[in-house]
Amino acid sequence: MFDYRNFALRKLAGIAPRYLPFADVATDDVPLSRLLRLSLFQVTVGMALVLLVGTLNRVMIVELSVPATLVAGMLALPLLFAPLRTLIGHRSDVHVSALGLRRVPYIWKGTLYQFGGFAIMPFALLVLSGYGDAVDAPRWLGLSSAAIAFLLVGAGLHMVQTVGLALATDLVEEQDQPKVVGLMYVMLLVGMVVSALVFGALLENYTPGKLVQVIQGSAVVTVALNLFAMWKQEARDRNRAETMRVTPVVTFSTAWKTFVANPGTHRLLVVIGLGTFGFGMADVLLEPYGGQVLGMSVADTTKLTALLATGTLFGFGIASRVLGAGGNPVALGRIGAAIGMPGFAAIIASSLGGGTLLFLAGTMATGVGAGLFGHATLTATIRNAPPNQIGLALGAWGAVQATCAGIGVALAGIVRDVLVGLEVSAGLQPATPYTLVFTIEVVFLGLAILAAAPIGYLATKRRQSDSKRTTADSQQNPVEVI
Amino acid sequence: MSDDPDKVWPTGLNLREAEEVHSYLIDGTRVFGAIALLAHLLVAVATPWLG
Repeated sequence: MFDYRNFALRKLAGIAPRYLPFADVATDDVPLSRLLRLSLFQVTVGMALVLLVGTLNRVMIVELSVPATLVAGMLALPLLFAPLRTLIGHRSDVHVSALGLRRVPYIWKGTLYQFGGFAIMPFALLVLSGYGDAVDAPRWLGLSSAAIAFLLVGAGLHMVQTVGLALATDLVEEQDQPKVVGLMYVMLLVGMVVSALVFGALLENYTPGKLVQVIQGSAVVTVALNLFAMWKQEARDRNRAETMRVTPVVTFSTAWKTFVANPGTHRLLVVIGLGTFGFGMADVLLEPYGGQVLGMSVADTTKLTALLATGTLFGFGIASRVLGAGGNPVALGRIGAAIGMPGFAAIIASSLGGGTLLFLAGTMATGVGAGLFGHATLTATIRNAPPNQIGLALGAWGAVQATCAGIGVALAGIVRDVLVGLEVSAGLQPATPYTLVFTIEVVFLGLAILAAAPIGYLATKRRQSDSKRTTADSQQNPVEVI
Repeated sequence: MSDDPDKVWPTGLNLREAEEVHSYLIDGTRVFGAIALLAHLLVAVATPWLG
């Protein structure tokens, strides 16, 4: 008699490895195509960031006429999740899975939350703004559902980015890590630029239906890109699953103590915070500064952002090359901050008679500085991370970086608004609020350089002590297929 | 095929692995379900389609 059971088994066994979402082997050399595919998760993160900070910010205020303070509050909600990135990274480090997976389950969960947030967001916003019959709806319904939507998106994107970066770090050898960091940053930038253009074009003629289509469309794109990015990236590993099962649980506080016991860790986090804050404050002010103080047209100021992005790309490129050749990341981070300082000085000087050309040069310089600084500090974080705490280290990096960037942007806006309000009554120059913010940035970058000074020494000392470190959990025992 | 009594036919996963895969399915269904419910509720508030 025909043995159906055996036949089906053999057929299934034959197709399974090709279509399973896990890699069969985590090979030593990961091809570029696979890394490019993995870096797609950064595109979705960039897309979510642009949608929150750029597109929805405008749509909620202009088209939906939601009060500006409420909008600011809603958009700040995802920031609440930034400190939790440390915990998420730690959880992925000590994750217990029968399949031997550590990162992919968290990327998947993060994707789910991000998708869920985008799925309910347009309706929540429509209810919040009192569209259609929602005028009669109780106020708390719109408020709480919009809050849930923003929280879900924030939680999702922080999870995806933290754990995705940890997975990328797991996959490559140490000497290739700078290239991967560069790639991840470039993809984030690409995601942000492309989605800003696409959202701008799609929402040109705003209708509520368009809003629903755009936001839910980005939800679908998020899931599609993240699934494609995760596919076959992490190996199924029975030996590791067995190790996970018998390893005693490491609590977060213990892991954190071990992590900061590393010399230089605290200091590096402080440097990242100061520098990110310094560079981050400029993002939202360059365009109004060019327009109001230097009298540039709207089209010209939009090109400023492109110039800044070009500078940042240059910075990433240089950093990838220098660090890939074995350069010291902390020293390079200091150079990045040191390039940023005269950049901001030039931007200040341009309003004191320096002219537009000086302003453009300053913008470019801050872009290059920000690129160098961001790349170098992330590479330093990865290099300093103990091999079994990569998730925690990247979580700490992300928590500090996202929090400080967010606070920087918010503070820059507040300082500017307050001073612009004072300007009329106190008779200040139009350039004064901006000059103040740019001066604060120079100061913070200077502090970052000072704080970074002793790290190089500590790092070399540490490097000598554990130069024979190998990747502790190199994935050498994949599941045998059949 | 190995003769591990734990293996679940026909995937070749053992019991714990199969249960973990299943847990992802269950979790996903719950999250998607909750989100779909909330989204429907909000749409019904803005543009009622019943009554």
